[in-house]
Amino acid sequence: MKTDHLSAWEQEEYILNQGTEQQSPQILRHLVECAPCRAEVAQLEHGIAIFRGAAVEWSSQCLATRPQQLQPVPLRRLPITAMRWAFAAVVPLVLLLLALLPLHLFHLSGPQITHPAVQISAAQISDDALLEQVDEQVSVAVPSSMESLTHLVSADNNSGTANAAAGSKHIVQTN
Amino acid sequence: MEALEPPIYAGELSPVRDRMIAELGDIDTLCATYRSRIYRYALLSLRDPDLAESVTQDCFLKAHRAREEFRGDCSIATWLTRIATNLIRDSTRSRKFQFWKTASNTAVEAGAVADRLRSPGISPETAMVVREQLVQVWDSVAALPGKQRSVFLLRFVEEMELPEIATAMGLHVGTVKSHLHRALAAVRKAMERKR
Repeated sequence: MKTDHLSAWEQEEYILNQGTEQQSPQILRHLVECAPCRAEVAQLEHGIAIFRGAAVEWSSQCLATRPQQLQPVPLRRLPITAMRWAFAAVVPLVLLLLALLPLHLFHLSGPQITHPAVQISAAQISDDALLEQVDEQVSVAVPSSMESLTHLVSADNNSGTANAAAGSKHIVQTN
Repeated sequence: MEALEPPIYAGELSPVRDRMIAELGDIDTLCATYRSRIYRYALLSLRDPDLAESVTQDCFLKAHRAREEFRGDCSIATWLTRIATNLIRDSTRSRKFQFWKTASNTAVEAGAVADRLRSPGISPETAMVVREQLVQVWDSVAALPGKQRSVFLLRFVEEMELPEIATAMGLHVGTVKSHLHRALAAVRKAMERKR
């Protein structure tokens, strides 16, 4: 609906085009003649002018408290993004290393860990060695009259570890 | 026979652009000339003095480092404003999660700025009215959407022409005008509400 007064859009248009050649002559003519429209436009302009004044003053006050020269950018600000990326890259690597570490340790300690079968054969070897040692001691300690019996023990020893051990024990006991 | 003019290549440097790049190379002079303007724009957009200072410094450093990319198709002020606009937008995005901080700043600052406003030669009653009007406009501008607020600040605080604003914001002149109409309507509404 067309009214005699300027619309809000026309008033805004006047304010936006101030100082330019795009200003509408009709709007200008109307403002010269119409006091209410002039007052409304002046009210809006006044609000904007107050805002501008306060903004400029606030900015000047804030700027006055700051050093005039360009400050070196703090190191912590620039590399933040880079550090985030580095962190994001390092974390999976660390987690991967942590996951692989037990496996690595297992491989390192692998030769020291023996299976039960290996333990048994080692025990058998050590038993045999022990029996041989005992046989030697016995053979040294056995009197010459009983030397023939030691041959028997040696023969038994060759046939079986258990019999040899029993034989040796028997010989030691008889001594 | 007409003399042939030397061909003009797209990448050819013009003397004006050379002069502008030389100006951008002198960072101290650049800061002395444009610092208050860029800082004011950043401060009013972000409403945080420390962040505004940071954005201002980043703006000059970025302009200095990227001076060879300056095409010379606008003024240095407009180019700096464009860089500042991008930095402000990035800061605003990263601050979105700090909504409590933004809210408290906005609530306090309108009154604080109005209190600090010098009003020499006017009566206390008039000063009170002016203070109320300022708070209304300040709050309404703070409540504007980002682009409308930036366009409003560039037009009415920095007093830039519409084509300059369009270049600085990367918008069409018609879009800038549309944003300005909406911003002015919001300010007018805020002022009428309290009247």
